[in-house]
Amino acid sequence: MTDAPLSPREEDDALAAEYVLGVLDLAERAVAEARLKRDADFAALVADWEVKLGGLNDGFDEAPAPNLLPQIEARLFPKPAPAAKPRHGFSFGWLTGALVAAVLALASIATLAPPRPELVAQLATADNRLAYRVTHFGDTLQVTRVAGVPAVAGQVHELWIIAPNANPVSLGLLEDQPLVITYPAPPEGFTFAVSVEPTGGSPTGAPTGPVILTATVGAA
Amino acid sequence: MDDPVADMIAKCAAADRAAFRALYRDTSAKLMGVLLRMLRERAEAEDALQEVYTRVWVRAGRYDPTKGRGMTWLIAIARNLAIDRLRAGRESHSDDGLDTVQDSAPRAESRLVAKGEARRMADCFNTLESEKADAVKGAYLNGLSYLDLAARHAVPLNTMRTWLRRSLLKLKECLES
Repeated sequence: MTDAPLSPREEDDALAAEYVLGVLDLAERAVAEARLKRDADFAALVADWEVKLGGLNDGFDEAPAPNLLPQIEARLFPKPAPAAKPRHGFSFGWLTGALVAAVLALASIATLAPPRPELVAQLATADNRLAYRVTHFGDTLQVTRVAGVPAVAGQVHELWIIAPNANPVSLGLLEDQPLVITYPAPPEGFTFAVSVEPTGGSPTGAPTGPVILTATVGAA
Repeated sequence: MDDPVADMIAKCAAADRAAFRALYRDTSAKLMGVLLRMLRERAEAEDALQEVYTRVWVRAGRYDPTKGRGMTWLIAIARNLAIDRLRAGRESHSDDGLDTVQDSAPRAESRLVAKGEARRMADCFNTLESEKADAVKGAYLNGLSYLDLAARHAVPLNTMRTWLRRSLLKLKECLES
């Protein structure tokens, strides 16, 4: 096999394959994902590789899956919030089949939140020296540091949310305690970002310091 | 070609919730298998499974049946999410019990007869040198990164990159011939 360098087209093809295969590191993957969204030709290469490498799918065995439909449907088809929202967990473990449908109907009277907060995004450096976990439960968004330490004295980590084609909006500061705010579950395509700002946060309402972490909800 | 999974996905695109439930019943075992193998932890896999089907519902309108089978599209979503989670900072499990016995290649071979895509892949795969084939499989089935693969095969990172890129392009040439 020759050692001739790859042509630009082959480079793109190889990158698309690497992306589907999953071998790229976090930074390279983020770049490929951003490209996927704006470059239709690249997206087509990726789709093609998904089918080609799909020939390996017989290598995956099946595994028993619990019925997670109630939780999935609670995320997809949430009931509108009544005035009071009970926070007690409600286990679906004892319900089966038709009873689940009846209980979901009753949920319009008393909202039954899914028993677990759902993971919305994970913001982490490639080596996991710093990581934040973003979860959503009911009408609350929580951001918890799961690795690393807060910014040094004189600085603070600030969390931003960026809707597609919009300016970043600050969600608050990430200090010692988890950030807990009332906020709807962000849709796919929205991006979280963490920047380093002076103590007290950005003075301008926009990020002024370096963005050190990003994660997109439902990326690619 | 008969593809009931593709039909169910099309119905999900039309907001058919009964079809979504049927899709879950028929495909969750396979997707759970994918997630469990790559994420290696049941709680994480179950959490990921919920996110996978959420994406399936939201993206059903983007599935193009002329481009590939329904199950292929579902597995691509599951793998993509699993890789996101792995690269976002979970410790790599590069060598935890990863002997080739787990690759279930012999079992896979016997099931390939029915499916054209899988058979062609098996044939083309056999044209790769065994170490390179192992690397591609390690990445695809176990979610190994370049770093993991370079360590596992005891070669420099750039060597592994070159191996994989050339192997992938070679596979593509073979599959398209």
